This record gives sequence, structure tokens and C-alpha cells, in this order.
Amino acid sequence: MESIFSFVSPGIFSQILVGLSRTVILFIVSSGLSLILGVLRIPNVAHGSLYMIGAFMAYTVAHLFGGGNMGFWMALVLAPLGVAALSFVAERSLFQFLYEREHLMLLLLTFAMSLVFGDLVKLVWGAEYRSVPVPQVFQGYMNLFGGLPFPIYSFFLLVMGPIIAILLWLLTNKTKIGKISRAAAVDREMVGAVGINVSWVFAIVFVIGCLLAGLGGVLVAPTVSVTLGMDHTLIIEAFLIVIMGGLGNVWGALLGALIFGLTQSLGILVWPKFGIVFPYLAVVVVLIFRPTGLLKSTW
Amino acid sequence: MKKYSFFALWSVVLLSLLCVFSLSHAANTIKVGIVDTYTGPATTFTNDVLDGFKLAVEKINAKGGILGNKIEYTTRDEKFKPDIGLAMAKELVLKEKVNILMGTINSATTLAISDFVRKEKIPFFVTFAKSDKIVGEKGHRYIFNMNENTEMAGRATAIALAKKPYVKYWIAGDDYEYGHAIAEGVWNNLKKLKPSVQKVGETWWKVGEADFTPYITQILAAKPDFIIVATGGSGMVNFQKAAKATGLSQKIPFYQHTATELSVLAPQGKNAPEGVYGTANYFFYYPDTPENRAFVADFKKAYNRNPRIGALYGYMTAQFIAEGYKKAGKLDTEKLVTALEGMAIDSPVGKLEIRKCDHQLLLPMYFGVTKKDAKYDFLTAGNIETIQGKDYVPSCEEVLKLRKK
Repeated sequence: MESIFSFVSPGIFSQILVGLSRTVILFIVSSGLSLILGVLRIPNVAHGSLYMIGAFMAYTVAHLFGGGNMGFWMALVLAPLGVAALSFVAERSLFQFLYEREHLMLLLLTFAMSLVFGDLVKLVWGAEYRSVPVPQVFQGYMNLFGGLPFPIYSFFLLVMGPIIAILLWLLTNKTKIGKISRAAAVDREMVGAVGINVSWVFAIVFVIGCLLAGLGGVLVAPTVSVTLGMDHTLIIEAFLIVIMGGLGNVWGALLGALIFGLTQSLGILVWPKFGIVFPYLAVVVVLIFRPTGLLKSTW
Repeated sequence: MKKYSFFALWSVVLLSLLCVFSLSHAANTIKVGIVDTYTGPATTFTNDVLDGFKLAVEKINAKGGILGNKIEYTTRDEKFKPDIGLAMAKELVLKEKVNILMGTINSATTLAISDFVRKEKIPFFVTFAKSDKIVGEKGHRYIFNMNENTEMAGRATAIALAKKPYVKYWIAGDDYEYGHAIAEGVWNNLKKLKPSVQKVGETWWKVGEADFTPYITQILAAKPDFIIVATGGSGMVNFQKAAKATGLSQKIPFYQHTATELSVLAPQGKNAPEGVYGTANYFFYYPDTPENRAFVADFKKAYNRNPRIGALYGYMTAQFIAEGYKKAGKLDTEKLVTALEGMAIDSPVGKLEIRKCDHQLLLPMYFGVTKKDAKYDFLTAGNIETIQGKDYVPSCEEVLKLRKK
């Protein structure tokens, strides 16, 4: 065994782990985006704003509870719920009237919403940088593979990823609402015809998707500065991931996030000066060979 | 029908009132147009400029204004877009008839407006943009630079770093113009001052990168003595948080321009990494002089927060406008420009001069390192080394040579 590993630098293992922890955030946010795309057919550009609002809410909640461990756990529960409540209001007051419209209209509407949300955040939280401290239990780092450090908080993310994935799987495959929503994604009218209130199914799916965006925002908050504009970079990445994985396919989002996160961290190892191009290169390669994405698209 | 005509009538009345109001205001005022970014992440810096400016203007107006004229200002949000910024500058000059323009944090906007004011002969005070082209190759008679630029930050840092024992350097940063300009500024000048330094590698990440851990582990594996980190905006805090989480700050010392600035350290509270080297033009707690304490007290009273670097830029801009007109003796743009050349006035950080040859404000630069401070619930700059403006600003010959090209 030793001889095999001696070929591979310890840096690779470390980069893979680091890439996986980034994947978790990307997966959580883009699975929500994909869910909404698949079932409601809304290309929700405002998804990134909900991620940003999740992070800002995490800041507020964490500071309300004193910024310690308690603050973080409360933020982890309350902030996504806050985002869910906000998205529920948005869905009932706006989106539900627009499901039959063409995609361009929805794109315009959600883009407008992202601008509105951006200004709303500035109004409520101001333009200052905000920071959510890493909870004490996850502070610090561990040395792995040749003494390269790995933040303990990233381990926490690595645990959260599979948990969210399993919950999503249970939701879409084992619950009634999941089954209905999958059916509605295929044939909306038929589901309506058998007497199911499609409008409410859509509302619930939309809220769950947005809750995932908020959750992503909370989880990322301790590692970055919470600031206006954090939505822009993420929404582009999330759309690329969803397109790469297959529009509307939640598992495609998982696959896309994995490719995105890993090509980035390993790309840095190969060529640090141009590390940023590798994820985008991966998108190009995937789309050349599988123009509709890696997994089956629901569109 | 009746409702509509009533509405129309009122609109006419309202509009004519507005006209009368603006006409009556046109006389006896010095109009300053501010074009800056008030949307998005840059707002955290531009609000300080505006508030600092407002503070000084209120003081000046309370004392009877300049030569009996009040200063009036109006702001425009350029949304970090050069085309919008230029259109707004044009609108301010041609429609609003402003006497003076100031702003912006966006270098591309600043250069576009600079081109325009050169033709219109309107003085333009640059209050945050960091491109060295502004006073360098694109400089002209009507542009005044109230802040440092990337070349100056690079020189000041190189002066301080050349005294340190580090030899093997790694360069990392945000992959956009500001990042590259800061990195080059530091590196080129450091190589001149200390030829023995060597670059072991470079890393560039995209602007707004959320996770620096993969980059940091890669840099750690290369074991450099020192890292020059050329981040801007929210990247400053993001990198420091990652440096803390991975223990980088305890293993390899690194430098960021403005790392010690309040806008970067305050949000992180006590959790910011210690031992990070940084340069900044202003701290509310340093220099601890009566002038600075008075400025901080005034600013705090007006806005209930501590002033940061932008506040000084805005405050000084208003002071220079006032003193310039006073020296000129009348409200004449050409006389104002000439009066400002070589003018030195008192500021919270000591006497500051606008250099005659290129209209660059000579600000001191403070090189320091982050440390915990019992007085505050955030980290502050310690071991501050002051580098005077004249020592790190490119010489007049260098600047004028650039302009000739």
C-alpha cells in the first residue's frame, strides 16, 4: 500500500477533502435551485439572494444569542426558516400567478427580485461587512497528510453534506409530497386532474428549495465575510452546476457540485496561477459531450 | 375626469414651485457633484467618504460658507458601472451645473470621468479609486487624487518589507486589475530595494472567491517565508477568516494592503487573526493626537460610529475645496486649481499637501500588524511604522514621464 501512496503527494488527499467541503455548500444551494427548476420550471435567479439573506439572518441570530455555540445552532435552525418564510410570501404573492408564463418572463421577474432583495438587504443590514464567528467547538484545524491543515469546521460541512443529501432523497422518494412533486414535474395538468391541489404542492416545493438556499448561506457564513454581492458569484456557479448535472435533477446537482468543487481544488494543485479556470473547463467539456447535462433532465 | 385634471393642476403647481426653488438656490452656492457607488459591497467604503465630506461641509457652511457662498452637494449612484458613472458626471456638469466633481471608488469610472472633466475644465477630486493611471499616464490639470494608489501602496509596503528578513515570497490575490496592480506594486519595488528576494510561486483566485482553504493548503505546501496577498473588498475578510481557520496566520506571515483597516478588522471582532501585516492611510486611534481625537469625536457625534479611511478622504476634500477658494479669492475654477497646487492644510493626521506637479495628496502610510487590544472588542494595528507621503509617492519626474507617453 505504501508504495502506491508514495506516488501520490499528500497534497492531493488534502485538496480532495478541501474540495469536498466546498462541494457541500455548492450542492446544498444548487440542489434547491434544481428542485425549483425541475418541479416549478422557474429559473430562479433570486436563489443567490436567498442564500445571501440566509447568511445575513445567520449573522443576526448568532449575535442575538451572543455569538457562541448556541448562537450558531440557533442560526442553523432559525435562519433557513426565516428564508423559507420570506420565500413563502414571495411565492404566494407573486410566483403562483406566473407559472403558466414563458421562461423569459420568469427569468426577468426573478432577476428583478434579486435586485429588490439586494437593496432590501442593504436597507436592513447596511453595507458593512458582517462576520459570523466559527462556533467554538469547530474552531481551529487538524493536521492531516503531511502536516497540511484542514479546518475543523470543514469536517462539520463534510458531515452535513450527506445528511442533507439523504434527507432530500427521503423527501423526494419516500414522502407523498415528494412523489406528487415528481409527478407534477412530468405532467402538471394530469396531477391537477386527479384532484391534487397543484398550487400548494408548488408552494411547498418552492419553499423547500429556498430553505436549502438559506441553509447554504448559514453554513457558509462562518467561513466568509457576509456582505452584499455574495449572491452574484454563487448564483453563476449554482446555475453552471445545475446545467452540468441536468436541469431539474437534484442528483445531477450533487454530481455537478462534486465536479465543480473537486476540479477547482485539484486544479489549484496542478496549476495554482490559473486554478480558477478548471471548474469552467469541466463545464465546457461536459456540455460538449452531454449537451443536456450528465443526468436525465426533467425539462 | 375631474380627478385627472385636479392631479394635472397640482403637478404643474408643484413643478413650477420646484423651478422657483432651484432658481433661487442657484446663486450664492458652490455646487459639488458626487458620483460614487452606493449599490453593492463597495458602499461600505463610499458611505464613509460621503459622511466625512458632509461633516466638513456642515462645519464650513455653519461658519458662513466660503467667501459668503454655501457649499451644496448632490450625489449620484453609478452602481459600479463606468458608463452609468460617466453619464451621471455629464448630467451633473451640463444640467446641474456643478462647479466641482468628486468620487468614485471605481477606477474605470474615474478614468472615464477624468477624460470628460479634462475637456470641460471641471476640477475632479478622486476619493477612493486606486488605479495608478489616474494621476499617472492619464493625469491632467483638473484631476486631484485624495487617496493612495496601488503603486504608492506597493512602494510603501516594499520600504517596510525590505527591512524584514524574509527571502522566499509567494504572491496570491484576487484575479482582477486591483489585485494584480497591488501585487506588482509591492513585488517590483521590493525587488529593487532588496534584490535577494525570490518569488517561489503565484496563486490567483476569482474575485468573490468564498473558500480559500484549497489555495492556502497549496501555498503552505510550498513553504514560502512570506505571502503577499493582494485581495480587495470582501476578499480581505474572507482570506483572513480562512487564514485563521487553517492556522496559516501562525505558520507563515502574510501581508494585505488595508489588512489593518477598521472595515476589515471590526466585523471579525476578537476572532480576526493576529500577526497579519497591513498598510493603511488612517486609523481612528492613531496617531493619538488632539487633532485626530477631535475629528473622531465630531464624526462619532454625527454618525455614531468610528471614522474609517474614507471619512478622511471625504473630509479633506471639502477642506481643500474651501481653503482653495479662499486662497483664490473668488469663485473661479482656474484660480481654484492654481491655488490648490502645492497647498498644505491641517488634517486629523497632520499637515497634508497637494503636490504641485501631479495633484497627488501626500498622505502618511501606516505599516502595522494586527494585534489584540484590551480597549476594543476587535483587533487593531500595532508596531506602527509611519512612512511619510514624500517617501513613498513616485517622484514628480517619474509621474510626468508617464504622462508624456
